[in-house]
Parts: sequence; C-alpha cells; structure tokens
Amino acid sequence: MECVVQGIIETQHVEALEILLQGLCGVPKERIRVHELCLKSGPSLAVPSEIRLLCDLAQPTPSWTVRHVGGAMRGAGAEQISVLVRTMVESKVSNNALRFFYSLGYKLDHELLKIGFAFRFQRGAPITVTVTSANKMPKLHATDEAVPVTPGIQMVEITAPTAGDNYNEVGAAVSSFCEYLAPLLHLSKPGVSTGIVPTAAAAAASLLSNTGGANTPQLLYLFAMSCFQMTLLCEADAALYPLHEHDTEVL
Amino acid sequence: MSSQILAEVCQCVEGFGSAAKEGRWRTTLTIYRPVARDPSSTATSAPVPMPGDLPRDFLGLTLHDRPGAYFFILRHHRLILQADANVQSLMDKLQSYKARVVLHFEGFQYQLGDFMLRVGKCVQSHADTLRGIMMEVEYLPLSSIDKSRQIMEDFLDIWQDAVIKKSLPGQFINVELNFADYGLQDQYTPQHTALQYATCIVQLMATVRS
Repeated sequence: MECVVQGIIETQHVEALEILLQGLCGVPKERIRVHELCLKSGPSLAVPSEIRLLCDLAQPTPSWTVRHVGGAMRGAGAEQISVLVRTMVESKVSNNALRFFYSLGYKLDHELLKIGFAFRFQRGAPITVTVTSANKMPKLHATDEAVPVTPGIQMVEITAPTAGDNYNEVGAAVSSFCEYLAPLLHLSKPGVSTGIVPTAAAAAASLLSNTGGANTPQLLYLFAMSCFQMTLLCEADAALYPLHEHDTEVL
Repeated sequence: MSSQILAEVCQCVEGFGSAAKEGRWRTTLTIYRPVARDPSSTATSAPVPMPGDLPRDFLGLTLHDRPGAYFFILRHHRLILQADANVQSLMDKLQSYKARVVLHFEGFQYQLGDFMLRVGKCVQSHADTLRGIMMEVEYLPLSSIDKSRQIMEDFLDIWQDAVIKKSLPGQFINVELNFADYGLQDQYTPQHTALQYATCIVQLMATVRS
C-alpha cells in the first residue's frame, strides 16, 4: 500500500521547486525518463483490470517494472486524513513483459513518456517526490518524438509506502512535508483538483533570487521570510520549525 | 510409483560413496487458468473473442535456490518471464488468471564431486499422492550448455547403469529442450532451470495420460 498526494505546477516554477526540494531533502535528485505503457484486460477476460509497464530509460540498460494500483481505502478513517491510501504492487520484470501481457490477453490502452526528476529521502517515513511532464507519442513507442500533453504544466506527486497499519503516521509525515511546499503548490488526494497556487510566482522568484548555493537552514530562513511577506504565516512557521529545533534565534 | 522407489533412488545416489547429503530442497510449479468471460453472457451485438484466445499452458515457478524470483512460462508462445517474487501478489489482484493446480518438487540434495544432484518427488499441494519422481543434475564448474553437454551425457549413462543394477521399476527420461526457442542463450541461467521443470511436468502429465 502507499499514501499519495498530487498537485500541478507551472513549468516556469519547476526550477524553484527543485531548489527548494534539494534544500529540504538533502539528497541528490534522480533523473526520470520513463516510458509508461498502460495495459487493460481484453474482452475475453471476465474481470476488468489494468496494469502499467514502466520502462526506465534513464539507465544505461533499460529496466522494466510492472505496477498495479488498486482501489483507495474507504471509510471514516480515509476521509479524515489528507492523503489517499491505496493498494499498490510493483515488481521488476524481464524485458519481454509487453509481449507476455499481450499473450495473456491484455491490450495497450495508451502510452506516455514521463520526463523529470525525483527525490527519495527519509522524513518520518520513506518519501518520494517526483516532478514530471507527461509526453505523448505521435507514433507507437516513438519515445524520441514525444511531445508534452500539457505544455507549461508539470505534475508533482508525493508517495510513501505504508504497511496498512501505520497509514496515519505515514500520512501525517507526507502532509507535514507538503506544508513546506505550500507557497509553490498545493498537494491533495488524486482526483481532488486544487489548481495552480496564486503565490507560486512570488515564492519561486524569491527562491531563485535568494539561494545561490545556500545551505538548508539559510534556505529555509529565506523561504520563511518570503512566506511572511506574502502573509502566509503558517507556511512561514512550518519553514522555520527545523531552526526552532536547534534553538536558533529567529528575527 | 511409491515412496519406496524414491527411497531406493536416494540409496542409488548414496551408493556412489562420495555423495554428501546436503539437505532438503523444494521447487513449486503452479498451473494457471484464465478467468474467462462467458461469451453467451454478453448483451452487445459486437463479436466477442472466444476464451480460446487465452493461453491454457500458463505456468508459474518458484525455484529452490531463487526464493526472491518468480518465473512465468507460456509454452505455446515460447515465452518465459522472470520477475520478483511479489509478482504473484500482483497476479492475484488482477484476478485475470487463477492458480488451479500447485505442484511441489521436493526432496534431498547431494554434492557428488563437481555435481549437485537433487532427487525428489512431485506431489500436488495439500495431497499425499506421489505424481512422479525426478532428479536434477547440476554440473558446477561450467555455465556453457554446449561445453558441458558431453560430461552431462556421460554422467547420465553412469546413472542409468546404477539404476538398472538396482533393478528399479521404470526409468529416468531426459527430455531435451531447445532453449533457443525461448530466446535463451548458451550461458545457463535460472530461466533455463525453470523451463526444464516446465518440460518435466508436461512429460509427467503425458506419461500419466498414456
């Protein structure tokens, strides 16, 4: 299972988001170039199902993964938390996976090329933040000719695995991290659209003009000042919280 | 086919003198069947592909020495797919294919010089009926199938002589497999082993039917 939230950001602000994430996560970013093939069960199979084959093109030798995303958790517990909890199983597979699933009666529904970057780090839970553009191919499997589906807009997704009995803690860790990103983008459960954040432009400009190699505490202080100037007091407080832990005086 | 014969086969191996018994092993083979739509149940006028389009020779294997991997085989399509072990959970969630029969190959393994021998029975899961007796012979120094072919044939000749001298009923049958049909190379891999177990079960079922 996993906890997940999503949001969108204008491509012009992705650089600022990357700087912020670099400062918050403290790990190197990973390049993403994934050919994603969505397969659906054909008419001969009784139970409709869907899988995604992911071919990682960022590595010297492409590697394949099959992923199945199941239904979301329902009930009072699900409604009370701000993240979506859903089943997700993925497995590495050999490179003949597409032919294999065709032989099982699956059909290609659509394919995308996802390009961007990811940060994987530990903050209360193992968290992965991906920022990607979705690109469609004019011809079958023509990844070199892919063009953006939504030019100017990229998707941000934050996921964290959960065993099912700790989804509250994992969800809280994800929600807590999302607060750091609030001036740039809002993240919510998939399917709940919040649009583009109106403060994104100002926040991005502040990040780009003030960082230039700053370390994490200075970066967070500058970001907090930007939030304060935009009267985003909760976001400013959240950005300053790591400084509070070290008993650093805050102006 | 009986446990007594299996015990005598093990004695045959142990009779080589230098054979060192090294413990138990188990390989599991699953036969999957499609969960097909009933063509008569459709309300549309559009033609529905017959469930006969779906493969009925779909096998899955967990090898004794690769617990983290899982192998799917589609014999008619000459396809073998290697995946992580949790792919079984993924297949369960899809509900497009169900495990219908589960067979275990299990027994003892012996180190005999440069050879590793695994002698075992084939039994259906949750049943005691012996379906067959099999032996896996692994030549440890070489990974090339071509280069080790002669020594494997020589070993099998020695083994058949030992079995004949023991006056065991029946005989061991070695079914040659063309690995190239599945896109496999001369370098031996766990995928080769998985294919051999799939061939073994097909041979076993053919023998039972005849």
